[in-house]
Amino acid sequence: MSKRQLAMVMDLNKCIGCQTCTVACKTQWTNRNGREYMYWNNVETYPGTGYPKNWMELGGGFDAAGDLQPGVIPNLEADYGVPWDYNYESLMGGMSDSNHFHPHVSPTWGPNWDEDQGAGAFPQDNYFFYLPRICNHCTNPGCLSACPRDAIFKREEDGVVLVDLDRCQGYRYCIAGCPYKKIYFNPKISKSEKCILCFPRIEQGLPPACAQQCVGRIRFVGFLDDEESQVYKLVHKYKVALGLRSDYGTQPNVYYVPPTESPAKFDAEGKIIEGSTRLPVEELEKLFGPAVHDAIATLKAEMKKRKETGVSELMDLLIAYQHSDMFRLDNNYYQQVAKENKRNPLAPVDTRYVAGKFTKAGGHH
Amino acid sequence: MNKVLTSLLSLGVAASAALAADAITAVKVANVADAAAWSKAKFSSVTLYPQTAIEMNDKKANEANEAPKAKKAEVGALYDGKNIALMVKWADGSKDVQGAASTTTYSDGFAVQFAGATKKAQPLPYIGMGSDGRPVVVHLQKATEKVYEPNGNKDVSTQLNRQQTGVFGKELADYDAKVASLANTDYERVFVGEGFRSLTEVKDKSIQSNAAMTYGTNGWSGTLVRPLKDEYVNLSGTVPVSIAVWDGSKMGRNGLKNLSSWLAISLEGQKANAAVAGELADSKGNAAKGKEAVAANGCNGCHQVEATDAKSFMAPSLKNVGGYSTTAYLRESLVKPSAVVVSGYNRNAHSNTPWYNVEKGKRVSTMTDYSFLDKQTIEDIVAYLKTLKAEVE
Repeated sequence: MSKRQLAMVMDLNKCIGCQTCTVACKTQWTNRNGREYMYWNNVETYPGTGYPKNWMELGGGFDAAGDLQPGVIPNLEADYGVPWDYNYESLMGGMSDSNHFHPHVSPTWGPNWDEDQGAGAFPQDNYFFYLPRICNHCTNPGCLSACPRDAIFKREEDGVVLVDLDRCQGYRYCIAGCPYKKIYFNPKISKSEKCILCFPRIEQGLPPACAQQCVGRIRFVGFLDDEESQVYKLVHKYKVALGLRSDYGTQPNVYYVPPTESPAKFDAEGKIIEGSTRLPVEELEKLFGPAVHDAIATLKAEMKKRKETGVSELMDLLIAYQHSDMFRLDNNYYQQVAKENKRNPLAPVDTRYVAGKFTKAGGHH
Repeated sequence: MNKVLTSLLSLGVAASAALAADAITAVKVANVADAAAWSKAKFSSVTLYPQTAIEMNDKKANEANEAPKAKKAEVGALYDGKNIALMVKWADGSKDVQGAASTTTYSDGFAVQFAGATKKAQPLPYIGMGSDGRPVVVHLQKATEKVYEPNGNKDVSTQLNRQQTGVFGKELADYDAKVASLANTDYERVFVGEGFRSLTEVKDKSIQSNAAMTYGTNGWSGTLVRPLKDEYVNLSGTVPVSIAVWDGSKMGRNGLKNLSSWLAISLEGQKANAAVAGELADSKGNAAKGKEAVAANGCNGCHQVEATDAKSFMAPSLKNVGGYSTTAYLRESLVKPSAVVVSGYNRNAHSNTPWYNVEKGKRVSTMTDYSFLDKQTIEDIVAYLKTLKAEVE
């Protein structure tokens, strides 16, 4: 466990599946050099296959006894989807191309292949919601436990989980060990890579790109021990934000406000079935555990209170008026860490990510 | 050096008259880099046993390696005044090269391990990556496609996907050429290790070596040339080495490999080191009695001797321990369990069954100290453990 822990809360009631977070992340980190297929941030439709395909069935994580479970490493073609590109070059160059505009591989699978499909029968009882996912920067990371080279570490300062690219030898046990499949193998450099929670931004007081760019303002970022932070209030004070698949035993640090509102079902004549709700609470229980019932009750009660009295701290918080309230990143804290370590406050506070955890200058150990 | 190596390899195949098992002689030649020198090499047959001390968490790889077999390899060696050269030839039905566009392919490869120079040469380091205070130097060669790895050079301008460069025609062709010129063509690495999870790559070129591997009919031939002496090793007389090969088709990487026990290479014309030979000698115990002693002392309460024993993660598996362990190591492990602690899994992976505790910065094994057993029983147990090894393929 780290000294402090950064956390993110995502309010699923407000996610519109616009993928702005996905693009913010991709253009910043994963559009090049073997990372093209990776989505450190993705937004999947639930129920659905997810990304990579059926990730919840690929093992990893811990059992009740705390033993790491075996897992499966997803296949690029079948499970992630080969990222395709188009023949811009031949078209722009005026070269003849009998196929005109076409992708360079025949696409057979990709993230969001089943976007917006969901479950149920249209129009009676079909439903879905969006599930944005990044690395959970777990307190007990499956990836870290699986690594036979101690190449994965959790930063003391903020609990961000990083791969020491100097030590990583591309064995890929981390991918089998992560139950969320949020660590990826970069075949070009033969090393594993993952979401870094935009730590170079965080250290300068800026939220991760996915959170900053979020159009629906669904993402809150802060330290879990900071009682003034909205993540603290949502997770600990109101207990309305819950970890995803906490049953995997990794103690995830990305929390979700479960979707509480869904339309009523229609009967055979197309009439509204009063009191019905399309989104089965069992599905939410599977994702967020039994505490989801209390979380939903709290949310509904506060919503009612706000309607009746006009006052609810929780509702105000979830409306997310100001970025400055949503993101409490404590730039001073990182400056202090840098000062204590006699480092340039603009350089990353933890150079292990760039320099290697154990490798001293010159390569001796 | 590649040209030389290619011709070396073709000569090596012709000279593959195998000698008696486990006795490797390094023939003295004028220059190991001279291709013709390999015609003088004497090849010996060695057995490479599957490494099964630890079962990792890759489900498919575990399924592919459920009943692993031992392999035979042929090893020849040469030396001159400065360098030692090794050639390893082993059968492998498929050439597996980790692709630059796949997350689930693995490379064939081979490695040669030397014992690091220490004040006290005996006992030899633990075969799996060395042990505390007893380092090993590992030379690794993997078969890979051309890989562009700019991270080492902090070169980010050429990381862009060609489609995103925003240039076309000649400019794009120039960009492609620049990227190609930065490609790594050779996955050769040298590591220093003092036990599982301590392996660290030597990047400062303080070890001048050259490894290569070529796929021929139904198998690989790998060569390694390295100095007899550098700041890590000092090789003379009798040189202990261990050889490992990885099979990409079996998802081999890391511990998923076949490896030899410590082998002695005698440098022809130099005085042999009796201590090394002694350490590699067979046990004189009675294996049948040893089997009874293992049962009587409840070893299988933690270690897997048979698949039906304790859970695989409770302690290092003994199923193949006889293949790659020396008698000296087995003896030492019984009477001084903390001399070499197979550190095994990350301690979070199986937190209720730690293999060791850390006391005053030292790893202390959780295994019972069996030094209370009489000498003969210990010898018998060692003799029995030496019989635990996979069949040859």
